[in-house]
Amino acid sequence: MINETREDRLIDTFATLADTLVAGYDVVDLLQTLVESCTSLFDIAAAGILLADEDGELEVVASTSEASRLVEVMQLSARAGPCVECFTTGSVVSLMDVEDSPPAWQRFRDSAREQGFAAVHAIPLRLRESTIGALNLLSNAPGALRQQDIRAAQALADVATIGILQERTVRESNSVREQLTIALNSRVLIEQAKGVIAHTRGVSMEEAFTLIRNHARSNRMMLSEVARGLVDQTLVI
Amino acid sequence: MPDRFAVAEEALTALEGNESRLYEPFLGLLPVDGLSISTFGDFLHAETVSASDAQSFRLDELQFDLGEGPCWDALETRVPVFEPNIRVRPNRVWPAFSEAIIADDLGALFAFPLLLGPLRIGAIDFYTSRPSELSDLTIRRTSGLATIVSRLVLSRALRLSQSDIEGETDTRRQFSRREVHQATGMVLSQLGISALDARLVIQGHAFAVGRSMQEVSEEIIDRRLSFAVSENQIEASHD
Repeated sequence: MINETREDRLIDTFATLADTLVAGYDVVDLLQTLVESCTSLFDIAAAGILLADEDGELEVVASTSEASRLVEVMQLSARAGPCVECFTTGSVVSLMDVEDSPPAWQRFRDSAREQGFAAVHAIPLRLRESTIGALNLLSNAPGALRQQDIRAAQALADVATIGILQERTVRESNSVREQLTIALNSRVLIEQAKGVIAHTRGVSMEEAFTLIRNHARSNRMMLSEVARGLVDQTLVI
Repeated sequence: MPDRFAVAEEALTALEGNESRLYEPFLGLLPVDGLSISTFGDFLHAETVSASDAQSFRLDELQFDLGEGPCWDALETRVPVFEPNIRVRPNRVWPAFSEAIIADDLGALFAFPLLLGPLRIGAIDFYTSRPSELSDLTIRRTSGLATIVSRLVLSRALRLSQSDIEGETDTRRQFSRREVHQATGMVLSQLGISALDARLVIQGHAFAVGRSMQEVSEEIIDRRLSFAVSENQIEASHD
């Protein structure tokens, strides 16, 4: 029974993602949908996607929560932790118990422990021979992901890769590097827009993100479109 | 007819990296005989960045040495200072500076402040050898050009001090970016300026107070520091 419903959810997720890819979309929106799907599909507490910038440094572009603590643990993992190992080796890295972290990962371990994350799984965003980023799944209980979960997560990560790289190639021919820059810049714009709303509405950054996202949804706008309007001060919400 | 001020705007922007030539687009555009662009004030050391001739350079030097003159007043009050006939009918008299320029036989002096948000960056000083006035339109458009100059001159100062700044931010780079972007959004909203200018304001302020952009961004996000416009005064305020 459980397998069936989960299978249904997986099919739903892929169908939604495929629809999005066909219909035209915003890359940050797509990645946001994707990380949120991960929390309903797998037995995890949080998820995030990191992409490499021009200097090869990994940046969080989408996460299930905007809480800075979650972003921090993923950034630490990207500096010295499972995320960067996954990125450099191009293979899945499963840290089944953060207490088993090697000494070099101490800062990551402390931060994960502090926030109650016991296991971290990093799945590469692969493009042929290279890796452009990683999908991170964080769980509150130690242990491995089931083999079929890893396969499903890898398939989702591959969809994310396709989504990032295809976003504009329909209209323009951009290099992989340019596509990544576009995705990362969308994130910059969203952070700036959060700042705008935080100031105008006197709310926290997390609340600001929720307001922006709700506005995008209820007006059928792309997230980056709303963010652009707020930053250019042509849109007030 | 092409808008000459728009042409000058483009010419100024194209001089990024060649700031010593920033005087060029102003010559021929405004009815002046010379001009200088300088940094001084709150946090940048007194320095002539660009001067069209020796006379302009001398006017800057005098004002720096004496600590008074139109450029100081313009920056202090945040509005341009006009002396259409400084020798015969001066609007104000500076004890040492007015004395020092008697032999220079000047007609008019105009000083426009260089400002970016709350930051006082420097001034542009114009002189003519005969008495002269600027029209309201010219004043307004010249103030617009001064904003572009402010941006370029501040970027230059930050660029020159880059080695200090880089060493500091690099160690904290991993979390810095999100917060700097968020703070940029808050500042652009507070001041009604572009994201690029808002980032420059944060960078300039960080430089002025000797802290990292990350630290300043955290203060902004935590509402301990605001650049919000109150009355007609723009100041950085700490709660």
